[in-house]
Amino acid sequence: MSLLGMFWNQTVCLLQHFRGRKNRCYSLAVRAVRRAFVYASKARKAKRRSMRQLWIQRVAAASREQHMKYPALIHNLLKCSVALNRRVLCDLSITEPRSFQSLTALAHARRTEGLRAALGDGAEPPGVFSRITQLQ
Amino acid sequence: MGCLLPQSPHCWQWATFARSWFLIDARMQPPGKIASMCSVRLQGKHKPIYHPLSDIGDHVVVMNTRHIAFSGNKWEQKVYSSHTGYPGSFKQLTAAQMHKKDPTAIIKLAVYGMLPKNLTRRTMMQRLHLFPDDVLPEDILKNLTEELPQPREIPRKLSEYTQEERNAFPMLWTPPEDYRMK
Repeated sequence: MSLLGMFWNQTVCLLQHFRGRKNRCYSLAVRAVRRAFVYASKARKAKRRSMRQLWIQRVAAASREQHMKYPALIHNLLKCSVALNRRVLCDLSITEPRSFQSLTALAHARRTEGLRAALGDGAEPPGVFSRITQLQ
Repeated sequence: MGCLLPQSPHCWQWATFARSWFLIDARMQPPGKIASMCSVRLQGKHKPIYHPLSDIGDHVVVMNTRHIAFSGNKWEQKVYSSHTGYPGSFKQLTAAQMHKKDPTAIIKLAVYGMLPKNLTRRTMMQRLHLFPDDVLPEDILKNLTEELPQPREIPRKLSEYTQEERNAFPMLWTPPEDYRMK
């Protein structure tokens, strides 16, 4: 039961694609495998960040297609208590474009209501939303 | 452009990955705004299927780059510097000199600076087509799919206003009888 054999048995599938002598020679391979494990651990955390960044970019692109900006969309969906997260919004924008269009229309309506309420004289706007809505 | 939209769902899926050709008229427009519009479309950031690795950028054709309009005194004050690496070859050109030498260079450099600084930048620049005037070659004209609206609204010159509009404009102050206009 040699440690050397154990090492090779367990890691040979992992380091086949390494460049140079790191895929053959024990001392170099040990160091390379340790680094690879460290990178993989860090990347598992970074993957969540990069996925969220990608969702935001996609939702921003889709909302710009509907003549609305991403911050306005998210803020107004929040004000309407639509709790869809960025992952779902991204999937909707790709596979369900009409649903996404209706969501942007909702956010746009809420936005114009809010602007009219802020700039207007305090009268009740003739729309669907009441400006006295409070978020729970 | 009378293009037939695909009818079946398989063709919709195929059509989302097609590469479009956009046309922008840069007459009397600020080159920075034109360049930002170009860079967004060259990267594919205007599409919900965007991914930095998937190479989904579109072609962008910019015409009338000779008639670009910088705001402020940038024609004299904005300086483009370059150095080839050899001693004594530090060149500094004002925007006006650069534009005279090559009418497409200002927009080209602006777009180059706005694209992500990675290996895909060169391929994106190859998809950017700049023309100093509105004469476009036939093969590019045949490929164009959409014209983008201009970012800046061009203000009218005084000579373009009719006499009625000029009379209808409200007087800010009434000059006295003996006032001499220059």
